Amino acid sequence: MKKYLAIAQMQIINNIAYPGDVLGRSVSIAVFLFIFAGLWRTTFIIAGTESINGLTFADMMWYLMMAETLELGRPRTNRVISEQVKNGEVAYILNKPYHFLLYHFWFGVGDSLMRVGTNIGVGVVVAWALAGPPPSLAGWGMALVTLVGAWVLHFCMMALIGLAAFLVEETNSFELIYQKAVFILGGMLLPLDMFPEWLQRIARLLPFPYMMYAPARLFVKPEPSLFWQMLAAQWMWVAVLVFVLALAYRGSERALTVNGG
Amino acid sequence: MTAIEVRQLQKTFQTKRKAAGLGASARALFKPEYSEVEAVKKLSFQMDAGELLGFIGPNGAGKSTTIKMLTGILHPSGGEASVLGFTPWKERRKLAFHIGTVFGQRPQLWYHLPAIDTLLLFGKIYELDDREAKKRIEFLSEAFEIRDLLETPVRKLSLGQRMRCEVAASLLHRPKLILLDEPSIGLDVVAKQRIRDAIRRMNQEEGVGVLLTSHDAGDLEALCKRVIIVNHGQIVYEDKVSTLKRKHLTSKLVEVRYAQEIPSNFHLKGVELLKVGRYGVKLRFDSNQTPVDRVMAHLSGAGDLVDITISDPPVEEVIAKIYKDGPA
Amino acid sequence: MKNIQFLLALWKANLQASMEFRAAFLTQVVFMILNNGAYFVFWILYFDKFNEVRGWTLNDMMLLFGIAACSWGVAAYFFGNFTMLAEIIVKGRLDYYLSLPKPALLHALASRSIGSGMGDIIYGVGSFILSGYLSPEGFARFIFCVFTGVCIFIAFLIIVQSLSFWLGNTTALSQIALSALLTFSLYPSALFNTATKFILLTLVPAALIGSVPAEFVRSFAWDGFLQITAGALILLGLAVTVFRSGLKRYESGSAIQVEV
Repeated sequence: MKKYLAIAQMQIINNIAYPGDVLGRSVSIAVFLFIFAGLWRTTFIIAGTESINGLTFADMMWYLMMAETLELGRPRTNRVISEQVKNGEVAYILNKPYHFLLYHFWFGVGDSLMRVGTNIGVGVVVAWALAGPPPSLAGWGMALVTLVGAWVLHFCMMALIGLAAFLVEETNSFELIYQKAVFILGGMLLPLDMFPEWLQRIARLLPFPYMMYAPARLFVKPEPSLFWQMLAAQWMWVAVLVFVLALAYRGSERALTVNGG
Repeated sequence: MTAIEVRQLQKTFQTKRKAAGLGASARALFKPEYSEVEAVKKLSFQMDAGELLGFIGPNGAGKSTTIKMLTGILHPSGGEASVLGFTPWKERRKLAFHIGTVFGQRPQLWYHLPAIDTLLLFGKIYELDDREAKKRIEFLSEAFEIRDLLETPVRKLSLGQRMRCEVAASLLHRPKLILLDEPSIGLDVVAKQRIRDAIRRMNQEEGVGVLLTSHDAGDLEALCKRVIIVNHGQIVYEDKVSTLKRKHLTSKLVEVRYAQEIPSNFHLKGVELLKVGRYGVKLRFDSNQTPVDRVMAHLSGAGDLVDITISDPPVEEVIAKIYKDGPA
Repeated sequence: MKNIQFLLALWKANLQASMEFRAAFLTQVVFMILNNGAYFVFWILYFDKFNEVRGWTLNDMMLLFGIAACSWGVAAYFFGNFTMLAEIIVKGRLDYYLSLPKPALLHALASRSIGSGMGDIIYGVGSFILSGYLSPEGFARFIFCVFTGVCIFIAFLIIVQSLSFWLGNTTALSQIALSALLTFSLYPSALFNTATKFILLTLVPAALIGSVPAEFVRSFAWDGFLQITAGALILLGLAVTVFRSGLKRYESGSAIQVEV
């Protein structure tokens, strides 16, 4: 266990060394929130109401702030793994007394902690300036708890895509499509509440809302019943995806030996 | 006729100095501190049309910087230069039609394409008509022995094969002058020899002038008539290669390996032993004082030879020797 | 004329190179079309709920996406080095282009092709056709706006990346600037206040790639035409000027060598 914490710690320190990266993400968050503030302010004025499907303008902005900080802070395990497969580094990691996936899990934890942290810092400042004070303490609490599960789900998906690098050369395309699924079905650009009924129902059957919508929505509307419901569904999906990931990992271990890596 | 005329050419680079750490980075952004490096210091020389001129010196001596100024890539900090009647940095594109360049460490052939495709593209770049370009490629592929290589993607060629294609490409538009920056870097002896032969042939048949930089004294001996040695951005020596050879390039390095252990009292008059191991010897001798055949005879008489390499001393040593002996 | 022939020869070489990896190229193209389509679902959902926003409907957004995607795609596919310029300058890779008798900047830009750009082009044309604004004059205006859009994308990036001649590697900075430009170009500038609109017409000229051309293709208007044309010309002029003056300070990677 200690060695895994050391990996996470290394990665936190590693991230501090890239101030340009922090600046880049901060600008992205600011641009994103600024544009959507323009869109939703206009939309609310035209609609002439305080709230649309239960969400006010301020709810909308803080929702998007939470979603965007998570999107820009989620693990990039797929890129790390496929990079390692391409340059052959994967052989060193497999030869070390680590579990390959646990190594990447803690590597990702360290990576994300730092990035989500700075993202939230910047996001709060920008969202506050655009939409007034943040949600209540209950919102923060429920968001943080569901962020954990959301992060694990992201990790499983990213690791699955990363493992695909054992089989195919280019995995960037998979990430792009996955990202768009989260953007739309996960509710990153538009809360599920705004979807037509039929699409909402389909989305809730998929893992994506629990990666994005759950923490963001609970953040602005901390309803206990919704919280427990979301949390249960989220961890059910964690169980499913961890199982799939474990299977995929055993399969790709074999593929690697065939390649002679 | 003069091909290149250089007067008091200078190049100073400003390098940003930055202390480590975030605070220093921030400060450097607003108030950078510069230190100046003089890469070329008031260089003057001439080269005749059709001449084979060697430009040698150790790494960082200013050779490449000079070549880059002569092709118009870099703007000088001072001085004048005229290449085929053009001022390179002012008339770069006009000049480019008349010169060819090869930068040994920067390939110009497209990596994923067969060399023939790059050659045809170069035909367009140099505004040759298609028939003319094909005829010229035909001729060059014979001169450089690359006919069988032209259809293979460049990434699959050996370094020596690639370099022959590179030099051939630089001659496509019948330049009056080619500037070769380290054309033999990283090549083995045979590959070096083939490139040198082809370059010499082009010089004889088409009268193309060759300015060649290298830090390999072998290139110089094999190819050039005249040599300029630079160090620290200045000319330290300028003369005919034959003179340089007679006066300064006389020592040879020899490394031999034997099948059996060599006698511990291995010894030879007129030879400086640099290293004696159980199976091999490394030595240096001056061919003016000790004849080569005597050394060879002695070495082959000492046991069954497995391996032998004879090389010229590195340019650094030649320069050191010139400093010690004084210019000719 | 000779320069056009040269560009055609360069593009042919690029195509030959990408045909070496045909499967990868086709995959990139298909996935880029899917990627753009999936992103656009946001607007389908939005306009499903709200019919229009400040005069913009779903069809107008399709038009805007068509122009922006096509402009980006043409820039990426035919001038693929436009995002790599800073690195080319800093690592001394301009030497090659400078030693040949063709315009160095043009040569450098067109020497790489980003395969997925073809996907953006196909998506963009498709989105334009589906937008319902397809007519002979509309098509002519669309082509014109794509052309100016390409100029603006490339010119903007040349300017930012040419700062590398003075400041060292500006790749990170130019990526930030590019992502801001790209993001803003995909939204109608009618959503923003006057000050922001002004910035989007000047400092971050995103409106000149997205909303202004979209309105211009919808119906001809002199002020839109002038804004787009002047914007493209000024930016291109500025780009060439900045690049040229930077070239005098070009160090061809030598300074790094000297430092060691």
